[in-house]
Amino acid sequence: MPSNDVVRHYKTWYVTLLRLYPQSFRQRYSEQMAQTFQDLCRERSDAGRGLLGFVMWVFLETSGGIIMENTTQMTQMSRTTLRVALGALAALMVPLVASRVVDGWNWPARAFVVVYLLFFAIGMAYALIARKMSSQSYKAGVGLALAAGFALGWSNMVQVADSGHPENLAYYSVLVVGIIGAGISRLKARGLAFTLFTMAVTLAMIALLLPSAAPPDMALRMAIGHIVYVVLFAAAGLLFRHASRAESRPASSTDN
Amino acid sequence: MVAKTTVQAPLTPAVLHILLALSAGERHGYGIMKQVEADSQGKVKMGPGTLYGSIGRMTEAGLVRESNKRVDPEMDDERRIYYSLTAAGRTALEAELQRYRSVVSVAEGRFAYAE
Repeated sequence: MPSNDVVRHYKTWYVTLLRLYPQSFRQRYSEQMAQTFQDLCRERSDAGRGLLGFVMWVFLETSGGIIMENTTQMTQMSRTTLRVALGALAALMVPLVASRVVDGWNWPARAFVVVYLLFFAIGMAYALIARKMSSQSYKAGVGLALAAGFALGWSNMVQVADSGHPENLAYYSVLVVGIIGAGISRLKARGLAFTLFTMAVTLAMIALLLPSAAPPDMALRMAIGHIVYVVLFAAAGLLFRHASRAESRPASSTDN
Repeated sequence: MVAKTTVQAPLTPAVLHILLALSAGERHGYGIMKQVEADSQGKVKMGPGTLYGSIGRMTEAGLVRESNKRVDPEMDDERRIYYSLTAAGRTALEAELQRYRSVVSVAEGRFAYAE
């Protein structure tokens, strides 16, 4: 009859094998798989049956699962990349058509390349972050935060280029807060909710404290623009907070 | 995380057996394996790779859900995640069993006629 030490050794090797699964699958199931493997080994061991043949069968069977999960993930990744590339191309049509019909809109070719790369990067960021969670609130929060962040960054870049006021660069600190917050929170809903609320407050503070020499009509439009961005960031924060609360609820109360 | 996929009819043998096992009540991974073995009179032996790969896809498709970890009083003191059928899972199982009944009915009619 195989001893507990032998079972422990086999489990250690099995855990090593499980590292070959895609990260997302591994994080979710490897602990359970190792536990189940140990249960199966103990059952055979208690029944006085040999383990070697069984362990080899499980290793082979799990290797098949590893190949399948990695293949599935690669296929899905290729599909996602293609979809985002086409989506970015569709979004590029907006400035492309606008440059033909709007007077004074004459971007050089490299500007379109940069915009396309930005659209693609935003789309991929959404696809990669949103797939981490099945919650619709989380996905909506990611989409809203990225769209608002992109719009703020872009409009500010245009503003700095047109007005030549470098103090407007202070608005980028809102995006820096977002990037740092996303990193610290490791994209967890609760941390992202706090990050988005902090971004909204940071933007409101900049809007209030940054001196403006704009004429009254321009100042009014800027104030409305600020309020819109603050509301968008706060709304994204609320969506993340909703996702976080749903996460912490017991499974039985969320799916009936 | 597992990528979004759907489990469509006809169900794979593994998915059908897992749904059938969970129709008897919630189970942890090892419990599902034992139930599948019992349901099939030992003819189906599912490994952890097939089991958890299927559970991943079934969870994404909303056929099963996982509960919080807890100890199985009939086993050791390790905490385990339990799985149970959702309403969609029960519907999928019933639809699949109905499909099987239809196939068996056609087959029985044909063999009876041949005899």
